[in-house]
Amino acid sequence: MLDLAREILQTLSHNKLRTALTGIAVAWGIFMLIVLLGASRGLYNATQRNNGVEQSSYASVWGGWTGKAHKGYKEGRRISLKDDDLEPVEKDGGPHIARADATMSVDTARVSTQKDFISGGIYGAGPNAAVQDRVKVKYGRFINDRDMAERRKVVVLQADQARLLFGDEKDAVGKRVDCMGLSWVVVGVYENEWRRTTYAPFNTVMMLTGNKGTIDEMQVKLKDMATEADVKDVNASLRGVLSQRHDFADDDQGAVHVWNRFENYLAQGVANRVLNAVVWIIGLLTLLSGIVGVSNIMFVSVRERTHEIGIRRAIGAKPRSILVQVLAESVAITAMFGYVGVFFGIVVTEILDKTVGQTEFLYNPRVDIGVAVQVTVVLVLVGALAGFFPAKKATKVKPVEALRDE
Amino acid sequence: MIIELKDINKTYPGAVPLHVLKDINLQIERGELCSIMGASGSGKSTLLNILGILDTYDTGEYVLDGTLIRDLNENRAAELRNRLIGFVFQSFNLIGYKNALENVALPLFYRGIGRRKRNAMAMEQLERMGLADRAHHLPGELSGGQKQRVAIARALITQPSIILADEPTGALDSQTSKEVMRVFRDLNADGMTIVIVTHDPKVGEQTNRVIRISDGRIEGGEEDA
Repeated sequence: MLDLAREILQTLSHNKLRTALTGIAVAWGIFMLIVLLGASRGLYNATQRNNGVEQSSYASVWGGWTGKAHKGYKEGRRISLKDDDLEPVEKDGGPHIARADATMSVDTARVSTQKDFISGGIYGAGPNAAVQDRVKVKYGRFINDRDMAERRKVVVLQADQARLLFGDEKDAVGKRVDCMGLSWVVVGVYENEWRRTTYAPFNTVMMLTGNKGTIDEMQVKLKDMATEADVKDVNASLRGVLSQRHDFADDDQGAVHVWNRFENYLAQGVANRVLNAVVWIIGLLTLLSGIVGVSNIMFVSVRERTHEIGIRRAIGAKPRSILVQVLAESVAITAMFGYVGVFFGIVVTEILDKTVGQTEFLYNPRVDIGVAVQVTVVLVLVGALAGFFPAKKATKVKPVEALRDE
Repeated sequence: MIIELKDINKTYPGAVPLHVLKDINLQIERGELCSIMGASGSGKSTLLNILGILDTYDTGEYVLDGTLIRDLNENRAAELRNRLIGFVFQSFNLIGYKNALENVALPLFYRGIGRRKRNAMAMEQLERMGLADRAHHLPGELSGGQKQRVAIARALITQPSIILADEPTGALDSQTSKEVMRVFRDLNADGMTIVIVTHDPKVGEQTNRVIRISDGRIEGGEEDA
C-alpha cells in the first residue's frame, strides 16, 4: 500500500501543473459543498434555537365564534375562555398536556417612572411564558409561581424599556414603576430582539381588571410530543374538553382557535431536511464539474502514458495493477485537493461563525465531524468514479500496441 | 529446450488479411545466444512479440520453458512475462521520470517485493552493469549505452529464463553497440538464453546461431555464426 502510494505520488509530482489544475476544480466543488453545508447547518441551528422542541411544545388556545348550532344554542355565539378552564384542561386534556396557563393583556395600561413612561400595556402571564416567548432574562428573574400565588405586583421589563425608564437597564431590578395606579417592583430585565412586552403575574392582572375570570388566551405546555398524530390528539382533546365546558360542537373549528406550535416544528423539520438535501444536490452538482475535469485529465493521462503502460505491462503489470494505479491516482487527486477545499471551506465557515454566526438567522454555521466523514466518503467515491472509465480504458491497452506508441 | 514453436501461423485481419507468420517451426535450447534476422516486414518482430507473450498466434503450438503458451488471459500472460522473460528494446523503454534504480526495480514491484529489497536487488544488477554510480540518474541524464545497460539490468532483475532483445543496438553507435553485445555475450557465457532480433549482420555475427526469416517463413538454412 505504501509502495502504491509512493508510485502514485511520483506519477502525480511528475505532472505537477496538470495535477494542480485538475485538483482546483475538485477543491472548488468541495469548498462550495462545505460552505453550503455550514450555512445550512447555521440556518438549522438558528431555527432550532428559536423554535426548538422546548419552545415548540406549546399550544395557544383562544375563544372565537361558534359556526354551528349546538344543544339549543344558535350559531354565532361568542366563546370566552375562563381561568377555571385551566384545571379541566390539565386534568382531562390527555397524556400530552403538561400544564395550562392563562394570559391577559391590558393594552391601555401605562408603565411609568418619574423619568419617563411607556405605553405598550401590561401582559399578565405565567412562569412558562419565558420559554414560550423565548425571553432571555438578563438581570434579575422572570415571574415565578410564588408571584402568581401571592398575586404580587411585580413586573419584568424589556431591556430597552428599562433603559428608557431608568437610564441604565442594570439599575432597574429592585426599583419601582407605576402602573394601573399601583406601584410595582421590577424583578427582572430581559432581552428579546422583537418583543416589547411588560410581563406581570397573570393572577395579579386578572385580579386588578375584575374580569370575572375571562382570559385572553390559554397557553398549554405540551410534553412527549413527537409526531403529527400527537399534534392531532392534542388539538382534538383540547377542543373536546372545552366543547364540554362551553357547549359547542367539538368539530366546530371557529368556536375555539388552537395554534399548536409543534405542528410548525414538524413542518420546520421537513423544511430543514429538504434544505439539507438541496444543499447536497447543489454541492454535488458543483462537484460534478470537478469530476468531469478529473475524469477528462485521467483520460488524457492514460493516453499520454500509453507507452509507459505498455512498458509496465511488458515487464509484468497485470491489467488489475494498471486499473488500481489509475483509480488510485484519481482518488489521490480528488482526496488531496478535496481536503484543500475542506480546509478552506472550514476556514470560511469559521469566519462566518465569528462574524455573522450568532444571529437570529444564522447560528454556529459550522460543519461537524459527521459532515467531514460524509465528505471523505464523497471524495473517495467521486475520485473512483472519475477514474473508473479512464482506468478501464488503460486496462484495455494491448502491450504490443502500446510499446509501438511513442 | 527452452523454446519450441510448432507450425505457428499469425494473420492480421483487415480488408486484406496479412499472413505474417507461416508455419513457423523453431527450437531454441537453453543457454543459446541466437539472432533472428530478416528484412523489414519479414515478420521477425511479430515472431519476437509472440515469443515474448506480447502477442498471440492463430494456430500452432508454443511452449516456453515447459509452459504451453496458448489462450492465456491477460493476468496469466503478465505473470509469465514477469517470471520467465526479460525484455530489451531498441528504444530502451525506460520510464522517463524514474531514475535508473527505480526503472530496474520496477518488475519486482509487480512481483510484490518490498521497496528496500527490490532496491538492493536493483543496485546489484546496476553494479553488474557497471552503473552503480548512475543509479540515481534519470534516463535523460544517461548516454545511449548506459540506458541500454539499465534496460538489460531491468531485464535481468527477475532472473528470467530468457532475454528477448528487439534491435538492442539499433539506436546506438558502433562502439556502444559492441559494448552492449559484449554484455550479452558475457551474460550468455554465464548461461543466460538470449534471443536477439536484428537486421544488422554485425550483430548476427556475434551470436551463436542466426535464424533467418523472410516473408513470414524461417528460411531452410539456419546457420551457426
